[in-house]
Amino acid sequence: MRNLIAFFRRFRIFLFFAFLQGIALTTYFNYLAYPRSQYLTTASAVSGQMLEYHNDITKHFQLAFNNRKLQYENTLLRKRLANSFVRIDQHSVLINDTLNDQQYEYIPAVVINSTVNKRNNYFTLNSGWRRGIKRGMGVFSPNGIVGIIHNVSEHYSVVKSVLTEDINIDVMVESTGIPGLLKWNGMNAKIGSIASISNDLPVKKWSKIVTRGGSGIFPRGLTVGKIKDFKMVEGKPLWDVSIYYSEDYRKLQNVYVIKNLLLNEQKKIESSIPDDIEEPEGL
Amino acid sequence: MIDIIKHSIRFVLFLIAQAFIFNQLEIGLGIQLMVYPLYIFLLPLEMNVFLLMLVSFGLGFGIDLFSNTYGLHASSALIIAYGRPYLIKLFEPRDGFDPGTELTIYSMGYAWFGYVFGTFLLAHTMWFFFIEQFKWSEFWYVVLKTVLGVPLSLLLCVLLQFLFFKKPIKR
Repeated sequence: MRNLIAFFRRFRIFLFFAFLQGIALTTYFNYLAYPRSQYLTTASAVSGQMLEYHNDITKHFQLAFNNRKLQYENTLLRKRLANSFVRIDQHSVLINDTLNDQQYEYIPAVVINSTVNKRNNYFTLNSGWRRGIKRGMGVFSPNGIVGIIHNVSEHYSVVKSVLTEDINIDVMVESTGIPGLLKWNGMNAKIGSIASISNDLPVKKWSKIVTRGGSGIFPRGLTVGKIKDFKMVEGKPLWDVSIYYSEDYRKLQNVYVIKNLLLNEQKKIESSIPDDIEEPEGL
Repeated sequence: MIDIIKHSIRFVLFLIAQAFIFNQLEIGLGIQLMVYPLYIFLLPLEMNVFLLMLVSFGLGFGIDLFSNTYGLHASSALIIAYGRPYLIKLFEPRDGFDPGTELTIYSMGYAWFGYVFGTFLLAHTMWFFFIEQFKWSEFWYVVLKTVLGVPLSLLLCVLLQFLFFKKPIKR
């Protein structure tokens, strides 16, 4: 017993250090694995409010550019108005696609905090569950997809962006329909990669990559980027495809959150598939 | 007492500077500028190690709250707070420190500050990127990021002292 106390006295500094280090690392790795704790993120009220002030100052820096982008998008939407595809109510825009009988609702939001140079980058939006945002919804901008909602509080939400390692969004080559999974190698915010394209399929440089819409998070056909180049993966019958993202995530501001009204129906019918046939995820 | 107030104000200023200015700068090549190690480095020499670690942990966690890193900065701040007494002992001048010395570039000289704070920053940045990446296969990328980032952060911390710290009067 005496020895034990002597041991603790001798190493008390190290033990205290190890204790605090344990807390820090547990929070970090826990968060990466299970995004539960809202209090430690920018979705919490205090830091969300601070970031809002920060954004109030910095949002005007690229005002001209953002206005042009919004104007461009408005013209696109106006074109659709003539065909009466779009009904507009107070908060959101509804698109009725009569061919597929699918309904998506778009919730506008503004990115108030973002990073692009970390290994896993998360963006903070200024809307939360008060405006109907839920965990797992897709987020896109006029130029391309942005990510998936990771964590929601009352007025803020955190997006797991496409600049994270295991974002795994269903994408496909637009012209040929070859499916793949979107990944990011952490090096460059302009370049992403696509895994699990089998190397007997023909892939062409500069062909457009769009979302596949398989998991019901994104509608089919949202722009992701263009193929930059592709090479063989050693020892596997797969292409290692790298793509240029169509959106520049360093100056992202206005985004839309996608609400899939038929998601429950899709989930329900897909749950009737027996368990032994599994999606080849990650390969 | 004056010291406590001074360091508390500095705590807030460094937190704001790191979270809202330097974490928002995207220089490219994965470089990240770190200024809060300077705060930990400048804490009083006589400070209790436990308190030192607690303050550093708090500072790191504060920065984490604003940059969605969930404990990454806290962990790296803690590492250098734990290592600081050993490092300073290793590089202690032959006749020791005068009581109440602050380890600024003015009181310790360019060479000493460059060496010791450089080592300090290297340990911090290396740990930060290793935990962030957490893969041996990306070892060289981590080293590259560290080697590119540390000199810039060092330069920045030196400049900050020239700009915001009063030169002590020579006795």
